[in-house]
Amino acid sequence: MNDEKLAQEIKTLVSKVIKIPEDKIDANANLFAELGVDSLLGVEIIASLDKQYDLDVPEEKLKNINTLNDIIGLVKEFLSKKK
Amino acid sequence: MGDQDTSAYWRRLLELDKPLDPQVLNKYRYWQRILRPLFYAIINIPLRFYCPVKVYGLENLPAKPPYIIAPNHASSMDYASVAWATGKRHQELYPITTKLFYDNAWARFWIKVAANVVRIDSIEDFFPALRAAAQILRAGKAVYINPEGTRSTDGRILPFRPGVGVLAVETGVPLVPVYISGTWQVLPTGWIFPRPHPVYVSFGKPIEMDTYIEKKKTNQAYDIYREVTEVLRERIIALSR
Repeated sequence: MNDEKLAQEIKTLVSKVIKIPEDKIDANANLFAELGVDSLLGVEIIASLDKQYDLDVPEEKLKNINTLNDIIGLVKEFLSKKK
Repeated sequence: MGDQDTSAYWRRLLELDKPLDPQVLNKYRYWQRILRPLFYAIINIPLRFYCPVKVYGLENLPAKPPYIIAPNHASSMDYASVAWATGKRHQELYPITTKLFYDNAWARFWIKVAANVVRIDSIEDFFPALRAAAQILRAGKAVYINPEGTRSTDGRILPFRPGVGVLAVETGVPLVPVYISGTWQVLPTGWIFPRPHPVYVSFGKPIEMDTYIEKKKTNQAYDIYREVTEVLRERIIALSR
């Protein structure tokens, strides 16, 4: 899967989890401060991605997630480790 | 929708599938526990007359642990009131406290005498708290947790944090709603010396988790944790009326 397609797939999944339309999610917007995501919903996003891509994301990585771009970077990092 | 079940990740964060540390309860068995009966006998005298605790619905407490006691939080005196209300069963309660209360050595000593405190570094860093609580529940004891996360500054019930919902749904233990009133009048935030006022502790019927565990299979886990948390808050508000 190319990067663009992966980013779009992640955006779709995040949008579904946080129940905000995709076109309202700016990739650089702070999910917590600007989109009203609480910390547990943040974990749920990662839980959904973990399930979708079988990533095994450790807890300490959750603290570095603030934006959709951070999430995309995280997924790419873990997918590349699997290769 | 079944593909939305993210339980495996949450269970991993809570370490629910790891073998239970057989020494988990020993961490909370301080030598000060020898002093505990004496402590409660002594505070029983002023409590009885200075701020008498009136108890309602104690029969709603599950016959034996594990369970989660989740009261509203208005005062540093809340735990003592619930412990007093449960009588000898306070021995099965493990309250989660932050290190905020551990700055003073004297306070630290007496907190350990009074309760099987489970110390966490910060309420904001919720997974260590949830993991500690889950271990206590798996060891067959009861956890005392304040879902508001902090004390109310005016006695009114604050919004609840959904961590209590995660804990209840993922461990499957009943959640006991408890409404405490009067403690804010006795010892509001910022006060050192208690004022005379009656305290009321009302135990509601336990919220069983079977329905929510079933619902989680076809819904987003977070939504179910939130739902349980809101049901708990509504039950506590209902107890206040």
